[in-house]
Amino acid sequence: MLENSIFAILALFLLFGSLGMISFKQTVFSGLSFLLAMMALAGLFALLENSFLFLAQIMVSVGAVVVISLLVMLSVNVNEQNLPNEPAKFRWMLFSAILVSPFALLMYKSLTHMNREFVETVAGYGSLKMMGATLFSDWVLPFEIVSVLLLTAMVGAIIIARKEPANDA
Amino acid sequence: MTPEPFFALATVLFSLGIVGIISRRNLFVIYMSIELMLSSVNLILAVFSRLHGDMNGSVIALLMIAVIAAEAALFLAIIVGLYRQRRTLDSDVFSKLSQRDTL
Repeated sequence: MLENSIFAILALFLLFGSLGMISFKQTVFSGLSFLLAMMALAGLFALLENSFLFLAQIMVSVGAVVVISLLVMLSVNVNEQNLPNEPAKFRWMLFSAILVSPFALLMYKSLTHMNREFVETVAGYGSLKMMGATLFSDWVLPFEIVSVLLLTAMVGAIIIARKEPANDA
Repeated sequence: MTPEPFFALATVLFSLGIVGIISRRNLFVIYMSIELMLSSVNLILAVFSRLHGDMNGSVIALLMIAVIAAEAALFLAIIVGLYRQRRTLDSDVFSKLSQRDTL
Protein backbone atom coordinates (compact mmCIF):
# COMPACT_ATOMS: atom_id res chain seq x y z
CA MET A 1 0.00 0.00 0.00
CA LEU A 2 2.79 2.37 0.96
CA GLU A 3 4.68 1.38 -2.18
CA ASN A 4 1.66 2.18 -4.32
CA SER A 5 1.21 5.65 -2.86
CA ILE A 6 4.93 6.44 -3.23
CA PHE A 7 4.71 5.25 -6.84
CA ALA A 8 1.67 7.46 -7.45
CA ILE A 9 3.40 10.55 -6.07
CA LEU A 10 6.60 9.92 -8.06
CA ALA A 11 4.63 9.18 -11.25
CA LEU A 12 2.71 12.43 -10.80
CA PHE A 13 5.94 14.41 -10.45
CA LEU A 14 7.43 12.59 -13.46
CA LEU A 15 4.40 13.20 -15.69
CA PHE A 16 3.99 16.87 -14.74
CA GLY A 17 7.72 17.44 -15.09
CA SER A 18 7.87 15.99 -18.59
CA LEU A 19 4.59 17.67 -19.64
CA GLY A 20 5.96 21.00 -18.46
CA MET A 21 9.23 20.28 -20.23
CA ILE A 22 7.57 19.95 -23.62
CA SER A 23 5.04 22.76 -23.17
CA PHE A 24 6.85 25.73 -21.55
CA LYS A 25 7.89 28.46 -23.95
CA GLN A 26 10.79 29.74 -21.85
CA THR A 27 13.74 27.35 -22.14
CA VAL A 28 14.84 27.68 -18.50
CA PHE A 29 11.39 26.67 -17.22
CA SER A 30 11.55 23.59 -19.46
CA GLY A 31 14.96 22.78 -18.01
CA LEU A 32 13.70 23.09 -14.43
CA SER A 33 10.73 20.82 -15.21
CA PHE A 34 13.14 18.34 -16.70
CA LEU A 35 15.20 18.47 -13.49
CA LEU A 36 12.02 17.60 -11.54
CA ALA A 37 11.29 14.67 -13.86
CA MET A 38 14.81 13.27 -13.57
CA MET A 39 14.71 13.43 -9.76
CA ALA A 40 11.36 11.62 -9.75
CA LEU A 41 12.89 8.96 -12.00
CA ALA A 42 15.70 8.52 -9.47
CA GLY A 43 13.01 7.97 -6.84
CA LEU A 44 11.49 5.25 -9.01
CA PHE A 45 14.88 3.53 -9.20
CA ALA A 46 14.98 3.59 -5.41
CA LEU A 47 11.47 2.11 -5.31
CA LEU A 48 12.76 -0.75 -7.48
CA GLU A 49 15.41 -1.44 -4.78
CA ASN A 50 18.19 -0.42 -7.16
CA SER A 51 20.18 1.69 -4.74
CA PHE A 52 23.28 2.11 -6.89
CA LEU A 53 21.27 3.06 -9.98
CA PHE A 54 19.49 5.63 -7.80
CA LEU A 55 22.84 7.10 -6.80
CA ALA A 56 24.11 7.09 -10.39
CA GLN A 57 20.93 8.78 -11.61
CA ILE A 58 21.22 11.49 -8.95
CA MET A 59 24.95 12.03 -9.54
CA VAL A 60 25.16 11.78 -13.33
CA SER A 61 21.74 12.55 -14.80
CA VAL A 62 20.61 15.17 -12.29
CA GLY A 63 23.91 16.44 -10.97
CA ALA A 64 25.88 16.55 -14.18
CA VAL A 65 23.70 16.36 -17.30
CA VAL A 66 20.69 18.47 -16.31
CA VAL A 67 22.71 21.01 -14.36
CA ILE A 68 25.12 21.49 -17.25
CA SER A 69 22.14 21.84 -19.60
CA LEU A 70 20.77 24.59 -17.34
CA LEU A 71 24.21 26.23 -17.31
CA VAL A 72 24.31 26.23 -21.10
CA MET A 73 20.76 27.62 -21.29
CA LEU A 74 21.65 30.43 -18.92
CA SER A 75 24.95 31.21 -20.63
CA VAL A 76 23.37 31.24 -24.12
CA ASN A 77 20.85 33.68 -22.56
CA VAL A 78 18.28 33.81 -25.35
CA ASN A 79 16.01 36.81 -25.29
CA GLU A 80 12.34 36.62 -26.12
CA GLN A 81 12.50 37.51 -29.83
CA ASN A 82 15.20 34.94 -30.56
CA LEU A 83 13.03 32.09 -29.32
CA PRO A 84 11.22 30.22 -32.10
CA ASN A 85 7.73 31.50 -32.77
CA GLU A 86 5.35 28.57 -32.28
CA PRO A 87 1.74 29.77 -32.48
CA ALA A 88 0.25 26.32 -33.23
CA LYS A 89 2.28 24.50 -30.57
CA PHE A 90 -0.59 22.84 -28.72
CA ARG A 91 -2.35 21.86 -31.94
CA TRP A 92 0.86 20.16 -33.08
CA MET A 93 1.09 18.41 -29.71
CA LEU A 94 -2.45 17.06 -30.02
CA PHE A 95 -1.79 15.93 -33.56
CA SER A 96 1.44 14.16 -32.67
CA ALA A 97 -0.16 12.56 -29.59
CA ILE A 98 -2.82 11.04 -31.86
CA LEU A 99 -0.05 9.97 -34.22
CA VAL A 100 1.99 8.31 -31.46
CA SER A 101 -0.84 6.64 -29.50
CA PRO A 102 -1.02 3.40 -31.59
CA PHE A 103 2.71 2.96 -31.13
CA ALA A 104 2.38 3.55 -27.39
CA LEU A 105 -0.39 0.96 -27.21
CA LEU A 106 1.80 -1.53 -29.05
CA MET A 107 4.70 -0.82 -26.70
CA TYR A 108 2.55 -1.23 -23.59
CA LYS A 109 0.94 -4.45 -24.84
CA SER A 110 4.27 -6.01 -25.76
CA LEU A 111 5.85 -4.99 -22.44
CA THR A 112 3.02 -6.42 -20.34
CA HIS A 113 2.73 -9.55 -22.45
CA MET A 114 5.34 -11.38 -20.36
CA ASN A 115 2.89 -11.49 -17.47
CA ARG A 116 5.53 -11.80 -14.78
CA GLU A 117 5.51 -10.74 -11.16
CA PHE A 118 8.27 -9.16 -9.10
CA VAL A 119 10.33 -11.89 -7.44
CA GLU A 120 11.74 -11.76 -3.92
CA THR A 121 15.14 -10.17 -4.17
CA VAL A 122 18.26 -11.83 -2.84
CA ALA A 123 20.20 -10.12 -0.08
CA GLY A 124 22.38 -7.32 -1.38
CA TYR A 125 20.34 -6.79 -4.55
CA GLY A 126 21.11 -3.43 -6.12
CA SER A 127 24.11 -2.84 -3.87
CA LEU A 128 27.40 -1.49 -5.16
CA LYS A 129 29.10 -4.84 -4.47
CA MET A 130 26.73 -6.91 -6.61
CA MET A 131 26.66 -4.24 -9.31
CA GLY A 132 30.45 -4.19 -9.49
CA ALA A 133 30.68 -7.98 -9.58
CA THR A 134 28.31 -8.10 -12.57
CA LEU A 135 29.88 -5.11 -14.28
CA PHE A 136 33.43 -6.45 -14.10
CA SER A 137 32.61 -10.06 -14.98
CA ASP A 138 29.97 -10.12 -17.72
CA TRP A 139 30.06 -6.52 -18.90
CA VAL A 140 33.75 -5.64 -19.04
CA LEU A 141 33.91 -5.11 -22.81
CA PRO A 142 30.86 -2.74 -22.98
CA PHE A 143 32.31 -0.88 -19.99
CA GLU A 144 35.62 -0.31 -21.81
CA ILE A 145 33.81 0.71 -25.01
CA VAL A 146 31.81 3.26 -23.00
CA SER A 147 35.06 4.74 -21.67
CA VAL A 148 36.33 5.20 -25.25
CA LEU A 149 32.94 6.68 -26.21
CA LEU A 150 33.12 9.24 -23.40
CA LEU A 151 36.64 10.26 -24.42
CA THR A 152 35.56 10.64 -28.06
CA ALA A 153 32.52 12.68 -27.06
CA MET A 154 34.70 14.97 -24.95
CA VAL A 155 37.16 15.62 -27.79
CA GLY A 156 34.29 16.11 -30.26
CA ALA A 157 32.46 18.54 -27.99
CA ILE A 158 35.59 20.64 -27.52
CA ILE A 159 36.24 20.77 -31.28
CA ILE A 160 32.62 21.64 -32.15
CA ALA A 161 32.13 24.32 -29.52
CA ARG A 162 35.40 26.26 -29.78
CA LYS A 163 35.38 29.68 -31.33
CA GLU A 164 38.03 29.88 -34.05
CA PRO A 165 38.05 27.38 -36.92
CA ALA A 166 40.77 24.75 -36.85
CA ASN A 167 43.94 26.01 -38.53
CA ASP A 168 44.79 22.75 -40.25
CA ALA A 169 45.40 24.31 -43.65
CA MET B 1 3.31 -4.33 -6.43
CA THR B 2 2.89 -5.38 -10.06
CA PRO B 3 5.17 -4.22 -12.91
CA GLU B 4 2.30 -2.97 -15.10
CA PRO B 5 2.18 0.61 -13.70
CA PHE B 6 5.92 0.94 -14.30
CA PHE B 7 5.50 -0.19 -17.90
CA ALA B 8 2.58 2.19 -18.42
CA LEU B 9 4.62 5.07 -17.00
CA ALA B 10 7.63 4.26 -19.19
CA THR B 11 5.38 4.04 -22.26
CA VAL B 12 3.85 7.43 -21.50
CA LEU B 13 7.30 8.95 -20.99
CA PHE B 14 8.58 7.57 -24.29
CA SER B 15 5.49 8.88 -26.10
CA LEU B 16 5.90 12.30 -24.49
CA GLY B 17 9.47 12.35 -25.78
CA ILE B 18 8.30 11.64 -29.33
CA VAL B 19 5.56 14.28 -29.00
CA GLY B 20 8.14 16.83 -27.85
CA ILE B 21 10.41 16.09 -30.79
CA ILE B 22 7.59 16.35 -33.33
CA SER B 23 5.75 19.38 -31.99
CA ARG B 24 8.45 21.75 -30.71
CA ARG B 25 11.03 23.78 -32.64
CA ASN B 26 13.20 24.90 -29.72
CA LEU B 27 16.54 23.05 -29.96
CA PHE B 28 16.85 22.69 -26.17
CA VAL B 29 13.38 21.12 -25.90
CA ILE B 30 14.22 18.65 -28.68
CA TYR B 31 17.41 17.73 -26.83
CA MET B 32 15.58 17.20 -23.55
CA SER B 33 12.91 15.10 -25.30
CA ILE B 34 15.63 12.77 -26.57
CA GLU B 35 16.99 12.55 -23.01
CA LEU B 36 13.48 11.75 -21.76
CA MET B 37 13.12 8.86 -24.23
CA LEU B 38 16.51 7.44 -23.20
CA SER B 39 15.54 7.73 -19.53
CA SER B 40 12.25 5.91 -20.08
CA VAL B 41 14.23 3.03 -21.60
CA ASN B 42 16.40 3.15 -18.48
CA LEU B 43 13.29 2.74 -16.35
CA ILE B 44 12.19 -0.30 -18.38
CA LEU B 45 15.66 -1.83 -17.95
CA ALA B 46 15.52 -1.34 -14.18
CA VAL B 47 12.08 -2.99 -14.03
CA PHE B 48 13.38 -5.94 -16.07
CA SER B 49 16.33 -6.28 -13.73
CA ARG B 50 13.96 -6.38 -10.76
CA LEU B 51 11.70 -8.91 -12.52
CA HIS B 52 14.55 -11.31 -13.14
CA GLY B 53 16.21 -10.73 -9.80
CA ASP B 54 19.72 -10.32 -11.21
CA MET B 55 21.81 -7.24 -11.93
CA ASN B 56 22.27 -7.48 -15.70
CA GLY B 57 19.49 -5.00 -16.55
CA SER B 58 20.77 -2.52 -13.99
CA VAL B 59 24.26 -2.73 -15.45
CA ILE B 60 22.90 -1.96 -18.93
CA ALA B 61 21.00 0.98 -17.41
CA LEU B 62 24.24 2.21 -15.78
CA LEU B 63 26.07 2.02 -19.12
CA MET B 64 23.13 3.86 -20.71
CA ILE B 65 23.54 6.66 -18.18
CA ALA B 66 27.13 7.05 -19.39
CA VAL B 67 25.93 7.10 -23.02
CA ILE B 68 23.34 9.75 -22.05
CA ALA B 69 26.14 11.87 -20.56
CA ALA B 70 28.19 11.59 -23.78
CA GLU B 71 25.13 12.46 -25.87
CA ALA B 72 24.41 15.48 -23.67
CA ALA B 73 27.96 16.82 -24.04
CA LEU B 74 27.88 16.53 -27.84
CA PHE B 75 24.35 17.90 -28.23
CA LEU B 76 25.04 20.91 -26.02
CA ALA B 77 28.22 21.66 -27.97
CA ILE B 78 26.25 21.46 -31.22
CA ILE B 79 23.55 23.79 -29.84
CA VAL B 80 26.15 26.35 -28.74
CA GLY B 81 27.84 26.17 -32.15
CA LEU B 82 24.54 26.57 -34.01
CA TYR B 83 23.44 29.46 -31.81
CA ARG B 84 26.73 31.22 -32.47
CA GLN B 85 26.13 30.97 -36.24
CA ARG B 86 22.57 32.25 -36.51
CA ARG B 87 21.62 33.75 -33.10
CA THR B 88 18.46 31.65 -32.85
CA LEU B 89 17.23 28.41 -31.31
CA ASP B 90 14.65 27.72 -34.05
CA SER B 91 15.34 24.32 -35.59
CA ASP B 92 13.62 25.38 -38.86
CA VAL B 93 16.33 27.99 -39.52
CA PHE B 94 19.10 25.42 -39.77
CA SER B 95 18.44 23.91 -43.19
CA LYS B 96 21.97 23.72 -44.57
CA LEU B 97 21.66 20.01 -45.36
CA SER B 98 18.12 20.18 -46.74
CA GLN B 99 17.38 20.50 -50.43
CA ARG B 100 14.57 22.98 -49.85
CA ASP B 101 16.43 25.95 -51.35
CA THR B 102 17.68 24.16 -54.43
CA LEU B 103 14.33 22.67 -55.44
